[in-house]
Amino acid sequence: MTENVWQLEEGEVRKPGIVHVVMLALFTGIGIVVGTFGSLAIPIGFVSAFWPGQAVQSIGSIWFGWWGAIASGLFPMISNSLSGSAPLPVSFAYLPGNLLQGLVAGWAFRKFNAHPSLPTGKDWGVFILWGAIVPNAIGAAWGSTMLVSFGLITQAAQLVTFFGWFVGNTIPTIILGGLILKYVSPLVIRSKAFCKGYWA
Amino acid sequence: MTTEATVHPTTGRVAKSRKTLLGYVPMISPFYAYHPATRLILFLFLGVIPLFIFIPEVNMLLLLVNLALLRWGRIDIKRLKMYMPVIFTVAIFMFTVVILAPGNDPRYTPLDLFGKTIYYQPVFFTFGAYWRLIAMLFGTILYFSTNRERDLLVGLRALRLPFVASYVVGLSIRSSGMFMEDFRTIREAEQARGLDTKAMRFSDQVKLYMMYLIPLFSIALRRADEISNALFARGYTLTGRTSTGEPRQDYIRSIYSYSKRDYVAIAIMVGIFVVTALAQILFGVFAIENSPLNIYLRQALGIPF
Repeated sequence: MTENVWQLEEGEVRKPGIVHVVMLALFTGIGIVVGTFGSLAIPIGFVSAFWPGQAVQSIGSIWFGWWGAIASGLFPMISNSLSGSAPLPVSFAYLPGNLLQGLVAGWAFRKFNAHPSLPTGKDWGVFILWGAIVPNAIGAAWGSTMLVSFGLITQAAQLVTFFGWFVGNTIPTIILGGLILKYVSPLVIRSKAFCKGYWA
Repeated sequence: MTTEATVHPTTGRVAKSRKTLLGYVPMISPFYAYHPATRLILFLFLGVIPLFIFIPEVNMLLLLVNLALLRWGRIDIKRLKMYMPVIFTVAIFMFTVVILAPGNDPRYTPLDLFGKTIYYQPVFFTFGAYWRLIAMLFGTILYFSTNRERDLLVGLRALRLPFVASYVVGLSIRSSGMFMEDFRTIREAEQARGLDTKAMRFSDQVKLYMMYLIPLFSIALRRADEISNALFARGYTLTGRTSTGEPRQDYIRSIYSYSKRDYVAIAIMVGIFVVTALAQILFGVFAIENSPLNIYLRQALGIPF
């Protein structure tokens, strides 16, 4: 039986503070770097065949709750602009999808008491389903719908775009996200910025 | 990421260029005669206006305007080479998708292309969409090629974005520069120990790329503590107000001022934007049906309007 990292200790009071805002900014910075590299590395149009940015989105909300989810929404707008993979209005339209894509993993880890270090099979299961498959299905559905509504792809092309997007994001999320959670979570859990709840 | 390049007080040399988010720009670039808010509005103008324009020729013209502005701003055009793969792969992706999944509208006109049946309407639609996308992208590239994180911060604050939001945007862009620097340091340390990434298999290179993130996250955690302590020590709060409740003086914004040319430029951009948006929304002036190339091709191929 692993410890429940989401459980507040007796008498423990957690409040959002400057450290969370700073972490939000720094995490967004990491997302910009990872997202830009991913988009430039193996681009196949609006989607990348290898976009590890989604791993950063899921990890963000697992560790930092809503702060990580906000970073998930913010960093693709900047990294898409820097890498040239999507113009600003399209990136703005992606925002709700990106927020949700980030938040799902954080919600699931708290809801199912999964440990961010992924010590058990159950934790891996929660991560793969709720941290990779579900968020990427949401993100790919929302993103491809936005591309149709902006008139950048035809309705008939949406399904192909959806699958390219889903596969290109899910595989690096599982590999990269799993590795980072396994090796970095023990450090993060002990830090002030870690959120047991959604805001602190 | 925001430091002035080539500043060496000991040798008496002065700064000649500025390091922007995507490269270096000479200090004498005409862009710097404008207030950062004007440049931010130019970014929004060039980035959003193609949304109302479906005629590919007009978007090609906008692209030329962007390139002319890059040249006028004395930006090294060679740096744009990094976008070439994206520009080509976007085209390949868009046209492949529309050829494989053209839809089944009975009004579509089939054409034979090297033994493969393609449909005129979705292919021309994709052609138009591609140029809209590229025009929007170059608006973004222009902004990030000519502006520093500080310019973005001043621009956002001049447009009255709340302190905490502008601070987060500013710090995140600055921190991405810091992480790039950390990333370079980690790679150099590996190379100094004899790691030859060129000799590695692709799968190993991917694994290595992932392993870079672990020290980057560790550094981020430490840096978050340091920065938040520094902000606390200087009396910063999330509201952007001082302990007496007064709004904090915004020093960085105070050192920039608007000139007559800023007002003229903003008025022209807003005017063109409103006219273009209304012309399209009310009268469909920039609809794809009005494209001269579309009209010519339809006439040449005998496709009814």
